[in-house]
Amino acid sequence: MNGPLPTRLWHLFGRTLVGRSVFRVGLPQSNLERSQAMVSSFLLHLQPAKVNRRALKPGTTLGLGLISLYLFLILAVTGVLLMFYYVPSTDRAYGSMKDLQFVVSAGLVVRNMHRWAAHLMVLFVVLHLCRVFFTGAYKRPREFNWLIGTALFLLTLGLSFTGYLLPWDQLAFWAITVGTNIAGYAPVIGPRLKFLLLGGNVVGQEALLRFYALHVIVLPGIAGLFIAIHLWRVRKDGGLSRPDEPADLVQQIEPGQMPANKSYGLMELARGTTPQVGRNPEDDVFSWPHLVFREALLFLAVIAVVLFLAIFWNAPLEQVANAIHPPNPAKAPWYFLGLQELVSYSAFWGGVVVPGVLVLALVLLPYLDRGRQGAGRWFARERAAANAIFAVCLVVAIVLTVIGSLFRGPNWSWQEPWKEPPAMTEEQ
Amino acid sequence: MNPTPPNDPPSRRDFFELTLGWLAATFATAASTVAAVKFLTPNALYEPSLRFKAGRPGDYADGSVTFLDDERVFIVRRGNAFQCLSAICTHLGCTVNRTGQGYHCPCHGTMFNNEGQVLGGPAPRPLEWFLVTLSKDNRLLVDKTERVAADKCLVV
Repeated sequence: MNGPLPTRLWHLFGRTLVGRSVFRVGLPQSNLERSQAMVSSFLLHLQPAKVNRRALKPGTTLGLGLISLYLFLILAVTGVLLMFYYVPSTDRAYGSMKDLQFVVSAGLVVRNMHRWAAHLMVLFVVLHLCRVFFTGAYKRPREFNWLIGTALFLLTLGLSFTGYLLPWDQLAFWAITVGTNIAGYAPVIGPRLKFLLLGGNVVGQEALLRFYALHVIVLPGIAGLFIAIHLWRVRKDGGLSRPDEPADLVQQIEPGQMPANKSYGLMELARGTTPQVGRNPEDDVFSWPHLVFREALLFLAVIAVVLFLAIFWNAPLEQVANAIHPPNPAKAPWYFLGLQELVSYSAFWGGVVVPGVLVLALVLLPYLDRGRQGAGRWFARERAAANAIFAVCLVVAIVLTVIGSLFRGPNWSWQEPWKEPPAMTEEQ
Repeated sequence: MNPTPPNDPPSRRDFFELTLGWLAATFATAASTVAAVKFLTPNALYEPSLRFKAGRPGDYADGSVTFLDDERVFIVRRGNAFQCLSAICTHLGCTVNRTGQGYHCPCHGTMFNNEGQVLGGPAPRPLEWFLVTLSKDNRLLVDKTERVAADKCLVV
């Protein structure tokens, strides 16, 4: 047995009674063991034993979905840590934030990590959505996974929004006041929905408790389940979308008409399908170590970036919530500022109709855009029209967000960020 | 694979079993949904009361507009007439500020005049006026559940 000391120790442990009971396969030495390692390990079995070489190239997906998943994991861990100190009561919530900042050991870093990872997750989920669109990866047979992804996008926004109230500072209080009033504009169910969300007529103790319950268990639970389905479907739908992919990765066989000269696995019979003959496996490499090590490296990189941000930049905490004096201007979190910019023109059109139509378009997209040309390639020429429409929507959303973030000063009036805001007239 | 041949017409027994089964499932789902929504709708609110006393009429100077912090309303006195104006912007629920010419919402910049009418900005409706009456112990009594026209006032 040779190699560096950790490897030798690992092998030694793998041969003991306990080691054999934990790891069903030791560190793989042969191709057979590399396959077995992937299939027989709980943590690895979600992934194929062999993976296409193209899937490993960074430019194929840019790793955006995986980064989103890692950020979710970081958020789950840091979130549970924060729960040990945070009290969801209007009297104590703000105080527990101050405790985390100034009293709890490493509390500041944990809170900062949670905040920056949350911002990054919104960003990377949006980027992942853009990647899937621009590579046409939502086409058959991946329509349903696009729907799950859309749900996960909305859950990410919901998680961010519910988490936003919890510090119980001015930013939190007024962002939630504005946000729930937007919900109140929804036709028919609006006022009732607002009352249910807040557990009352105003943002108070009941609202804080409800948002806390949604934030720490309901939404993460649903998101966790959907993430599992999302990843599972990536496997079941044939891995990453590829340009040379046939319409069906599998041939349909009619029940009772099995060809007599072939043998089938039980799972193939259960689906009534068989792997297509003549598909070329030449370009595949073993997931262990090629895929697994790349994933581990990316995980380290994501943690490093989040930690870096958390150490050098503090999450904002304004003054304690005050129902009488809204800050001027009262701003939602940055990812809702495009929406708030629209809402400043019209609450119904900007707050209900435009987002409603956009979500509906996302949901219907894979069932409307059914052409198979250009799937699996970035910015395929055949998809120029669809990509152009999407790009225009994206640019409009970015411009609105930038305007709402940087160009809106006191009274939501136009304010160039490089100029000093005009002196406020004293108001009673 | 199918235990029964596919083209058999359903028997009377199958029909009743299916109908009853689906009915029961629908009913159970609907009942659970209604119960869940009802459970989540609070029956008692621990909020400031929507009907409150706002002090003696004499506490307010003639021609004054006074902001009450806890209730988020303005008490307006003109001569012997008293009115109560909501300070909650009808747009997205921010608290409006009193300015020289009327009221101004800091969140999205809606301007209201002294009568609560929208002069400019995104608010869809004027500010709301609440019913003001006089209680037996000679205090102003505001009822935020009763909305009144902008010209209705309590004359003391």
